[in-house]
Amino acid sequence: MEFALYLGCTIPLKMPHFEKAFREISEILGITYKEMEGAGCCPDPVATQSLNIDTWLTLGARNLAIAEKLGLDIMTVCSGCYETLKTVYVLLEENKAAFDRVNAILGKLGIEYKGTSKVLHFAELFSQDEMLEKIKSKVVKPLDSLNIASHYGCHLIRPSKIMQFDDPERPESMDKILRAIGASPLEFAAKLECCGFCARLQDEIGMNLVEEKMTELKDLDKEVDGMVAVCPACATQYDRKEKMISRKSEKELDIPVLYLAELIAIAFGVDTTKLALKQRAVKPTKLMEKLKI
Amino acid sequence: MSDKVVKQAKDLDNNFRYEISEKIGAKSLLKCIQCGVCSSGCTVTEYVDLQPHRVVASCLLGLRDEVLSSNAIWTCSLCHRCTERCPKNVDYSFILALLRNMAVKEGNVPIEYSATINTIYNNGFVIPYTGGMKTTIDRRRNKMDLPEIVGPNLDEIQFIIKETGLGNLIKKAEEDEK
Repeated sequence: MEFALYLGCTIPLKMPHFEKAFREISEILGITYKEMEGAGCCPDPVATQSLNIDTWLTLGARNLAIAEKLGLDIMTVCSGCYETLKTVYVLLEENKAAFDRVNAILGKLGIEYKGTSKVLHFAELFSQDEMLEKIKSKVVKPLDSLNIASHYGCHLIRPSKIMQFDDPERPESMDKILRAIGASPLEFAAKLECCGFCARLQDEIGMNLVEEKMTELKDLDKEVDGMVAVCPACATQYDRKEKMISRKSEKELDIPVLYLAELIAIAFGVDTTKLALKQRAVKPTKLMEKLKI
Repeated sequence: MSDKVVKQAKDLDNNFRYEISEKIGAKSLLKCIQCGVCSSGCTVTEYVDLQPHRVVASCLLGLRDEVLSSNAIWTCSLCHRCTERCPKNVDYSFILALLRNMAVKEGNVPIEYSATINTIYNNGFVIPYTGGMKTTIDRRRNKMDLPEIVGPNLDEIQFIIKETGLGNLIKKAEEDEK
């Protein structure tokens, strides 16, 4: 199984430990990648799309064209990249005028966008039945003592007419993966709430959203060992802001936030010295003690 | 906004709704029945000056200036629940992006947004990757035994940004930084 690997910006530049975990588990699962040389920002679905949709579509199509040249489908590791690239793919497939407009500009650079490389997120691939079996078969350290909250995030599953993956109101993909590595996924009311990272102009929005979700998790009957995300923006948002809230208030919000690939890597028995698990505001100390790592 | 705004029919922009709806993905605007499902599920509904269904109503009424200068169009968290749940398939989150595009053309751009495109223009990435930043990032990756980053093709990226009409904004962001 081979894909063109699209890393985006945040993971390779700011969270290389997420990339490390992802590459380690890919190797164990026998997935290989070709690097997308020359690729740039997806571009980000917040600012670039807001400023000019044509800029967004054309820069996105340029990235897709790199994978097309490799003759491979694209694997993304960030929900923002996934949304941008998949939306570009779907919109240009549905809209001939936009397709022509984008290609008119790319043509001046000697690039042609054809629409032949599909876009996937690893949560999409990993939650397919065959892959879940494979994941189960690679687990050497079942996480059966852990209660984990999954944060799907908005851009992984919505808008469903574009993403065409999982149920937009009752998604299951991440929970299926968590069960495959032995962990117990949690049900909670704020499960599908947005992290607020993209509401850039009012910091208060993100603070309130993080506080609400983390407080609910702390108040559950079960002890929550951690939360997993599949997007670096969501992961950072919860990690940093819950620490900030704890400092400012009497609330002790201390649920560690892990990137899903990190938790899978632990279950696969990847040497944890390679993983930089403590590289976050809220350290997963208790979780590591529980797992004796 | 405490004063009651009274607009005469002659001051409404009757073409505003079509100016939006003729753009890709925006035809659905005209189907809104004002049920309010978008606003009830909206992540930022309590933070905006105009809730989603009122933004749509204002577009349909032709309140162009009120919409394009509202904070509502920029406060969106892009959770897409409005689009997901609309019983008439109005793609509100995409229409909102189009409204932001229109506001930008009229010179109304929050600095956070123009700064982002400037970073992409200068780095190819949404995060600075030049000089000292690059050295630090490369060292950290090297320590983790990760492959070297093959930098983005900046010429192509800069060409596209200019060619699609954001050239002026790049200059503006540079001046703002100074």
